[in-house]
Amino acid sequence: MSIKIPDGHCYHCGLPNVEGERYPATILKIERIMCCPGCQAVATAIVNNGLESYYEFRTETAARGDAALDNTLSQLAVYDEPELQEEFVFDIGKHKQIQLTVEGITCAACGWLIEKQLAKVKGLKQVSVNVAARRALVTWDDSEIKLSSILNRLKQIGYESLPFQSDQHEASYQNEQKSYLKKLGLAGLMTMQVMMLAMGQYFDLFGNIDNEMQRYFNWISLVLTTPVVLFSGSVFYVSALKAVLARTVNMDIPVTIAIIATYIAGIIAVNKDTGEVYFESICMFIFFLLISRFLEHRSRHKATQISSNMLKYIPVTANKWVGKSLESVLAKQLRIGDLVLVKAGETIPIDGVVTDGAAHVDESMLTGEFEPVKKQVNARVYGGTLNQDGQISLKVTSTLKHAMVNQILRLQETALASKPSVALVADKLSRYFVIAVLAISALTYTYWTSQGNPEAFWICISILVATCPCALGLATPSALTCAMAKLNRTGILIKRADALEQLTHVTDVIFDKTGTLTEGKFTLDKMWFDANAMSEQEMLYIAGSLEQCSEHPISSAFPVDYPKHVENVEIVIGNGIKGVIESIQFTIGSASFLSSKLGDFKIQLNNLGLQNEQDANVFLAEEDKLIAAFSVCDSIKKDVSTVLSHLEQYSTTILSGDSQANVESIANTLGISNKISQCSPKQKLAYIADLQANGKVTLMVGDGINDAPVLAASNVSVAVGNASDLARNAADVILINANLPTLLDVIAMAKRTKRKIKQNIAWALSYNLMVLPFAMMGVLTPWQAALGMSLSSIIVVYNSTRLMC
Amino acid sequence: MSIIYVLIPLAIIIVSIAILVFFWAVKSNQFDDLERQGYSILFDDDLKKDTSETQNTNNKQIND
Repeated sequence: MSIKIPDGHCYHCGLPNVEGERYPATILKIERIMCCPGCQAVATAIVNNGLESYYEFRTETAARGDAALDNTLSQLAVYDEPELQEEFVFDIGKHKQIQLTVEGITCAACGWLIEKQLAKVKGLKQVSVNVAARRALVTWDDSEIKLSSILNRLKQIGYESLPFQSDQHEASYQNEQKSYLKKLGLAGLMTMQVMMLAMGQYFDLFGNIDNEMQRYFNWISLVLTTPVVLFSGSVFYVSALKAVLARTVNMDIPVTIAIIATYIAGIIAVNKDTGEVYFESICMFIFFLLISRFLEHRSRHKATQISSNMLKYIPVTANKWVGKSLESVLAKQLRIGDLVLVKAGETIPIDGVVTDGAAHVDESMLTGEFEPVKKQVNARVYGGTLNQDGQISLKVTSTLKHAMVNQILRLQETALASKPSVALVADKLSRYFVIAVLAISALTYTYWTSQGNPEAFWICISILVATCPCALGLATPSALTCAMAKLNRTGILIKRADALEQLTHVTDVIFDKTGTLTEGKFTLDKMWFDANAMSEQEMLYIAGSLEQCSEHPISSAFPVDYPKHVENVEIVIGNGIKGVIESIQFTIGSASFLSSKLGDFKIQLNNLGLQNEQDANVFLAEEDKLIAAFSVCDSIKKDVSTVLSHLEQYSTTILSGDSQANVESIANTLGISNKISQCSPKQKLAYIADLQANGKVTLMVGDGINDAPVLAASNVSVAVGNASDLARNAADVILINANLPTLLDVIAMAKRTKRKIKQNIAWALSYNLMVLPFAMMGVLTPWQAALGMSLSSIIVVYNSTRLMC
Repeated sequence: MSIIYVLIPLAIIIVSIAILVFFWAVKSNQFDDLERQGYSILFDDDLKKDTSETQNTNNKQIND
């Protein structure tokens, strides 16, 4: 039942244990090793709460725990603000209810774990977890427990949960889903009954059924069929009626004619006790058509659910100066002219101008570039960006509604609205098809009546049923549903089903640079060192220990597990770090920083074998001696070149907000000829629009907030790895893990799906054309036509399910 | 064969009950999450005593 975790991997999340046996926990009476303090804390919390059997029955590993547990409660306290709760919390009697989207749910055991964990909390009335939708519905008594502590309880066992803005379509989808299910269930159960009676009549082997019993059977069948026709079939009549009112035709028109005509003829036949009845055909017909509609609807419903989950609501708080004291308020309550204090490490809550202090600000969420920007007095800062060091005061210049992030959001919305719509080939095809069917059946009917054939009516019905484009209607949705399910299992979420269909038409693939093609963080590229001073490892160890003292992103280039103790640390922002390790003075930093400390910097550089000072950008000195030079840059992700080599048939482009030199060097290394640098979100959008105007079909791959509008506008868009929520929201396809090669899987799957759809359509059409002459000649009775149609649909569905393996 | 005049209406009554039950199930969100409920039976058996008590009270509250 339970999964097996290989040795050397975290028992909680299954990732490799890179830090040895540092984080043990006793689970199911055996000591297990975890990969990080986060997983350790989560596992201990699970065990302490008596919920160990989660580990026995889970079928997937858990999501990795988050180590930063300590300060979460204070952050979550924002969610207790009544102003914020207004939007998400419902009052039901004396209790409150909220729907949360829960991150980290991987299998059914997670649902159990959450319910059990919360069931023990006093004041919590009801919890129900929906594993498929990754959501939880929580009802609690606000006088006994606060929402923030509920969220905290979930966080303790490793699930990040947040209120979200439900998609406005979703509620109606949910209702439709239920109504389809009811209709389908009724049609299914009734079809079985009617079929049972009909079988008795078809295969009356012993001749036991006399006329009276036949009449009785017919009456019963009529009674059983009536709810199916009136309730289950209503979907088709409504849709047909809408089409007629809009003066077009759709597949539902011949369907409606066939159902109603057969049903009325059946009533007349039963009353007059003459002629044929085909109630079982009606039931089967409606049942199978409903299955195809239901499948189609369900895949769309799933897509809206996924995109709704993306609309998480993360409120930002701000420290507002009121006179001489600070007050914590929600960012949306800030007015223009308010003074706000932002401490180091905090997110800047709103757009403003710095009035006091200086800091480095990480604007990567807006620009995609991770190198921090220095902000001094009078510099503009934007809401959503991160203050990395220093403390600044700012004066609010625009309300949250008009903040930069929200402007990008609006840009994205307009882009989404103007997205080129898919010309639905199948829809167009079926329109002509329907007109042809209606014409043919009318002609056949007049022909046979003029010939005096009493069966003319039934021949006409046979044509309508036999040529019913049911299998044709199933061809696309069934294949797409199967493909989505398969991709979902490999960590690829498809938010819009027809994205797969469009993927096969793509001509241009456009990549964002930072975070998509590159790691999005500094990594060590090359190093030059004095081998006489110390070993390479030791040097990196010293460099890493020094860099640990600063928050500068460059420190990610020198990862160390157990940093050495550094004394007398002196950090010069934007320049470097000085510190004493084991009573030796070390200095690390930029060329200008080091040359000010060392008089003969240039000469020492040459001694290291480095001719050009520009080649390296970080230098390390031991006392007065330069011992190493490092070239640190944003390196290209591991498998990017393999991915690109598979994308040769497309024209590839890099579209980046970064400087020209950086973009050029990456493009040259990867052999991408089209490169556009220093783009604002608007310019990126214009570039895509230009391509589309020239008849190109674009596939955009990106990750940042600045990519969100262009992701929304592109024909197909993919958000990679740890993409920002906004980018995920805008994209059609989300790659859950950060490795780009899964993009190839998506493309391959899209091609396979397209092939399946073609096969399905070919089969459905050729079947319909094949039976048409038989139906016209009157060889085919309506029940045979209905049976054939059903078999044809089953073949199509079976063919589609082969995509799953 | 006249028994069939009784049996078939009886069958219809049973089917109607089945349909009503099905409608009720759809209405009370029983079909919302098809992945999870299949596992519930596995878990509850293995609960320790104190947790199973809270589980019962929780169930009661849900039924209320």
